[in-house]
Amino acid sequence: MSTSSSSSKKIVLKSADNETFEIDEIVALESQAIKNMIEDECADNVIPLGNIDSKTLSKIIEYCKKHAESPKKDDNADIDEKAVEDLKSFDAEFAKVDMPLIQDILMAANFLNIDNLIGLMCRTIADRIKGKTPEEIRKILNINKNDLLSPEQEAKAREENSWAFD
Amino acid sequence: MTSSSSSSTSSPDLLSSVDHFDHLPDSIVLLIFNKLFDVKTLGRCYVVSKRFQTLIPQAENVVVRVDCVISDDDVTPNSISGESRVGTFASLFNFVVTGIVKPIQALGSHILGNPSRLSSLRSANESEAAVVGVTHHSPTQVLRNFNEIKFLKIELPSGELGIESDVLLKWRAEFGSTLSSCVILGASSVEKRGESESSSSTEYVSEDGDGSIPDSFYTDGGLKLRVVWTISSLIAASARHYLLQPIIEEHKTLDKLVLSDLDGQGLLSMNKEQLEELRVKPLSASSASKRTLVPALNMRLWYAPCLVLPDGSVLKGATLVAIRPSSDVEGKEEVVDGNLVASVFDEPYGSAARMLVKRRTYSLEMNSF
Repeated sequence: MSTSSSSSKKIVLKSADNETFEIDEIVALESQAIKNMIEDECADNVIPLGNIDSKTLSKIIEYCKKHAESPKKDDNADIDEKAVEDLKSFDAEFAKVDMPLIQDILMAANFLNIDNLIGLMCRTIADRIKGKTPEEIRKILNINKNDLLSPEQEAKAREENSWAFD
Repeated sequence: MTSSSSSSTSSPDLLSSVDHFDHLPDSIVLLIFNKLFDVKTLGRCYVVSKRFQTLIPQAENVVVRVDCVISDDDVTPNSISGESRVGTFASLFNFVVTGIVKPIQALGSHILGNPSRLSSLRSANESEAAVVGVTHHSPTQVLRNFNEIKFLKIELPSGELGIESDVLLKWRAEFGSTLSSCVILGASSVEKRGESESSSSTEYVSEDGDGSIPDSFYTDGGLKLRVVWTISSLIAASARHYLLQPIIEEHKTLDKLVLSDLDGQGLLSMNKEQLEELRVKPLSASSASKRTLVPALNMRLWYAPCLVLPDGSVLKGATLVAIRPSSDVEGKEEVVDGNLVASVFDEPYGSAARMLVKRRTYSLEMNSF
């Protein structure tokens, strides 16, 4: 990666586990955070992402590539429906991963400020807990045991919200 | 893309912590809550953890599905309480009402109740027990723990107006302190694509003529029926509006409020300005019943004996009514109607409305009621 020249529109991202990813600048621009860095000219050849592991980063790049290639809604009012559908089914497939990875992607997307991806991940989590019991939700989200309500608090909260448990 | 290490490992701190979710900032957790909508799940999240309990009251988008609508009057005979409430309308239109729009007093007992007790959320199999006093949860109660709701949608289990299965009746109303606008689409029957022979459809179209209403409309009860549809829709809408008052009072952050039903029959909506208007200028209740007083109205009606929609369905006796308070309409009716009907109905009925509005317009006035 040391040979990348400044004239080519390539950006190199480096994950926490020191893996490097060379991507087109246009793909990197899906991240508002990276876009700001580039615009402020404070991006070096290599952008280190010390809090994102390679597995997560490669997923994020997959997402940004697809979305960078797709026509943007505001570019053109009548982009063909097929492209929209295509992107939709890509997103649906993309979200079919386990909860730890979803949460890692969400953390990273939040850090990189990729709005669409944050939205997709939040929607995915929401869909997975919809209609579930508190016990199931704790399990799905792997909620910290130290953060649980005391039995008395829980009983009171359930009483207050008894309508949610019919 | 180059790969210098095995991708199977996560970074150590992510791997060691069993509680990923705790790493997510509050703003993200709230984003997730705001995509849940479903009030029951939100209510359950309230007991999931301490953190959830502090965040849930900040949820901004809430959808309440009402399983069952009851009123205080369910324990009294409908025939008596209903008639007194609907008063003159029932007696005026009684003969048309029966059989077409099921008795108007059914509407009374369905929705016109004490707002604090009116709606209860409970599962269907409990419906028998509920009348004899099982705990009810009104939307007001259910929403008590939410302090920052911006978007609220309440869904009734069904439309209030009992109509025969082949009759089409849909209303969409906007309210501030009182009715701002209402559009009603009705048809005496709907034939889905394929049910009618194509040749006969063509006939219908050619019969269209200049878009005026045939004389028979006035004599065969057609017009009367439309008036009943209109009044019934307005009563249902103004009763829904009346119910919303305590909720609007309690939730100052609201900027969009929708009250719909699963049948897609009626939809009442209030935007930010309209909610503000109601907060500043409280509604006047109708003297006859527990609903908002409807002001004097200007109604514009379009009719087509037969309307073939782009998807092939055929509406018989298709009728569109656009309603505004008389005080609002001076001089700008044409423009307003166009905007009013253009997008309120989902397809294929949006097309029906746009086709009807091109036909000859008939104006009617109605007194406040």
